[in-house]
Formats: sequence, C-alpha cells, structure tokens
Amino acid sequence: MRSRNTNARLVAIMLLIALVGLSAFDVWSMGSRVPAVGMQAEDFSLIDLEGKAQSLSQYRGKIVLVNFWATWCKPCTTEMPAMQASFDKLHDKGFVVIAVNELEDDARVRAHIKQYGHTFPVLMDRDNKVANQFGVFGLPVSVFVDEKGIVQEYIKGGLLTEQKIQAIVDRLQAQAIVNAVSLK
Amino acid sequence: MVGRRFSLGFILSLAVTFSSWTGLHPAQASCGAVSCFVVIGSQQQVPQAGLLTANAMYNFTPMRLLGGTNGVIPGLDQANRQMILDHHQETRTITQQTTLDLNYGVTDRFGLQLTLPYMWRTHKHIDGIGEDGANGEGGPSNFAANGIGDIRAGLKYNVLPTLRSMVVLGFGVYLPTGNTHAHDSAGSLMESPTQLGRGQVGLNPTIYQTYELIPHRLNQFSSASYRHTFRNNDGYQFGDEYMLNAGLNLVATPWLTLTGQVNYRYLVHDNFSSSLSRSATPTDATFPDEPQVIDPTIKNRSVPTTGSTYHAFSPGFQVNLGQMIESSWTNMTSFYFFAQIPFARDSNNSLAQGTSYIFGLTRSFQMLNPS
Repeated sequence: MRSRNTNARLVAIMLLIALVGLSAFDVWSMGSRVPAVGMQAEDFSLIDLEGKAQSLSQYRGKIVLVNFWATWCKPCTTEMPAMQASFDKLHDKGFVVIAVNELEDDARVRAHIKQYGHTFPVLMDRDNKVANQFGVFGLPVSVFVDEKGIVQEYIKGGLLTEQKIQAIVDRLQAQAIVNAVSLK
Repeated sequence: MVGRRFSLGFILSLAVTFSSWTGLHPAQASCGAVSCFVVIGSQQQVPQAGLLTANAMYNFTPMRLLGGTNGVIPGLDQANRQMILDHHQETRTITQQTTLDLNYGVTDRFGLQLTLPYMWRTHKHIDGIGEDGANGEGGPSNFAANGIGDIRAGLKYNVLPTLRSMVVLGFGVYLPTGNTHAHDSAGSLMESPTQLGRGQVGLNPTIYQTYELIPHRLNQFSSASYRHTFRNNDGYQFGDEYMLNAGLNLVATPWLTLTGQVNYRYLVHDNFSSSLSRSATPTDATFPDEPQVIDPTIKNRSVPTTGSTYHAFSPGFQVNLGQMIESSWTNMTSFYFFAQIPFARDSNNSLAQGTSYIFGLTRSFQMLNPS
C-alpha cells in the first residue's frame, strides 16, 4: 500500500515536471523546415534594440544576411567581426546585415553589441518564433536573401569570413545583373 | 545571490553524499544485478549533423539487502533447468561498469548510437540452504567476472527540433555480446541474473524530451524507456523493464551546470523455463537433504523474488571544460558526476540497488562540416 502511494507520488512529480515543459512549449510551435534555396523567404517583423519594429521586407532590393545568434554562442561571436567588416565595406553597395538574437535579454545583448562596436541592426527574437520559421535549432545560422527576397544561401554552424561574405554578395549581385539583362 | 546560495547548497549536499560513500557500511546483500541509470543529456540527444559525441563513463552500483528482508531466494540451475525455492541467501552484488557511448548526427534530426559496456561484477551468496552444511545452513559462494556486457545499437529521431526544445524518439537493440556462462567459486555455472550478459536480443524503445524554461539558464527534461529481452538459450527471460526520469538543469555559471533528477524503474518478474523444487526443511524426514521435487514439468515459471521497484533522486553536476580553459584539449569537452540516492525500494526479498555513483567525460568531434 505504501509502495503504491510512493509510486503514485513519484509518477505525479515526474508528470508535473514534464508538463511544466510541455505547457511552456508554446504548444506545438514546431520548428519549420529549413527554407530551400530558391524559395521566397518568409517575412518577419521584430523589435530592434532601440525598440523599433524592423521587417525583412523593408530591405527588399538589397542583399540581406540574416544571422541567428546569441552572446553565449562562441562560433556566433567569433564570426561577428567578419559580418561587421563586410557590413562596413558593402553597406553602400546594397548589402545589409540583420543579426537576430535568440532568447536573450536586451541588457545583455546591448552590452555585447556596445563592447564589440557592432553597428548593424540587432533584432530580438524573444519567443523564438523567427528561428522556428527559418528551421533554426542550432546556432549560428546565416541566411542570405537576395534583392527579390529569395533565399540564396543557408549556412549552418560554419564560420563566416569576410572573404566568404564578399564572394556570396559578388555572386548574388552578378546574378542580379544577368537576370536584369535577360529580362531586357 | 539566491542563485549563488543555491549553488553552494547543492555542492555541499554533493560533498556530503560523496563523503557518505567513502564511509559506506559493509554491504550485506544479493543476486540479480542492475546498473544505475541517469539522464546525461548528451546520451539522449541527437547531435548536429556530422557531430560525433563520445561519452566515457564509469558507474559504481552496489546492491544489498533491505532492512526487514532475509534475502532467501530460489536457486536457479540453468544446466538442469531446475528452480529450487529457498535455496540461496543473497549477500551482496557490486557492479562496476565503464561505458563508451558514441552518438553521431547523420542529419540534424537523425542520429545513430552505439553503447559499449565493460563490466566488473562481484557477488556473494549462501548456496545450498537445506542441503549443505551440518544444519542445512548452506555454504558461502563467491562470484567474480569481468568482460563486455550487452552492446546496444540504436537509432534516434528528433521530432520536435527548435532552439528551446527537443523531443527525441529512439529505438535500440541490445545484442547478446555479454558472457552468460561464467562460473562461481565452486565451479558451478552462475545463475543467469548475475551473468554479465542476458544471452538474448533485447528491444529498447525510448523517448526523451527537453525544454529550456529559461533560455540557457534552466531547462527541464524527461525520458521514458522500455526494455524487452527475449528468452535466452538457458531458458531464462529477464523481466520487462520500465524507466521514467524527469529533472531540471540549472546553468549556475557558464562552465557549471547543476542537475537534479528523479528516477523510477519498475522491473517485471523474470521467468525461467524449468522444473520446480524446494529446499529440504527441518520438518522433512531427512534434513539436510537433496531438494524436494514439487513439479518435474519443465515450463515457464515466474521467479518469485525477482522484479523490483526503485525510486531515486540523483543530484549531479557537469563542468564544461571548454568554458573554463580555452584550448584545443578542452574544446567541446565536459565532465560530470551524479549520485543516485534511492528513496523508496521494493526488491521482493532480493538485493536492492543502493546509492550509486556515475562520473564521466563527454567530448564532441566535428567529423563533417555542418554546412
């Protein structure tokens, strides 16, 4: 009898712990599939560190690097200087970096951005929604979206370098020129 | 401040637990053998594509009699397919196991797992009750064996991958690689439950779930598993095993994670295809004497003193070496320690698992570029 009571108590504790997790699931907010290259990137709107809403679609006509990151993620912070250098160099040539922070508080992110002097927009994905939308379940992930809003590169984990970013941007810009000429 | 106080309290309780281990009372207990079990994250999760996670762990699992039990159990004679009631009295089993657990992410969602155990087991019991000794008290018998246990190969699929959560369905097969024919100090074939291997294939579906309640600070996890082992060539079938685990991980500092988990294991009675006898008792015409046959028919019979229920709390910690020291040696490497402390047990008059300890080292290797 005593053993049965203990069993019931234990199962109840375990169910409670499991349910705490399940209830917090934002239930069934299952991660989407990774967007395939050539697909239209799904639009999103997030608040930046200044409290302003920014969307992916507002950068239509530019090449956008959407980078999913967090301050605790070492590969993320390692590749950020290359992103900053590319942003500085190519900003006037139609290239934008959007750094989407995952699940961290503003103060921590703001301190990090200030410390490293990053000037590209940093958006706060507080409920993990945009990461799920882009099939992100490991950091970092970088998505290159072209002028028409089409996904052109989806890079998981691998470190971005200035050269790599430059090469991708050059390729996408050249492709855009070819497309424009062929339309004429 | 509260977090720091909690961390200190946790470490203190671990220290007390550890010191109680070094001062363990001489064990007094049993036959039948189990190993302790805890959830170690890296073992249950699916690594990213191209990532190999290797876990090397050691666990120490003592088994002894519970207060109020005498440890008198049936003797099992596989060679003659005979179960003799009240023929043994359990004293103690100690199982030490080192395990190499390899997890590889084939894709970000699909993983392979291979678990290679190596075991050392010692067991003591009184054999021949009612049969040996001037007063039928039996005689001591020791058993010691070491070697590989049953290797497990498994597949895993992450059905709910997000940055905050993971639900992993797994299916494993235990292969009968462990020895089932080791002998005791008297030269007799040791009983099946104490052998290093089970002698037959086992099926092991699992489910593991984790969710970050506070991202990168507090996460919750739970897991459940079932193991079915088919009857071996000695006519012995281990009872089905059900396990439930649930717990929390607290990232106290970037390099230290504290864990508390509750573990539950339910073992169904083992089954032995045998005839049935009983030990001679003082009320018989001659005593001590050969066991008395009750039913000579060889058929499937539950082994009455097997099957158990076990509840434990397992505090532990994991130290992320890569966060402590920056070097190629410590990158993606961590070590962990858990104590598994039982708080409710029912072992059917047989040996019960005592406080057990697990420590290990985990390291991940990026075999292929994830891009």
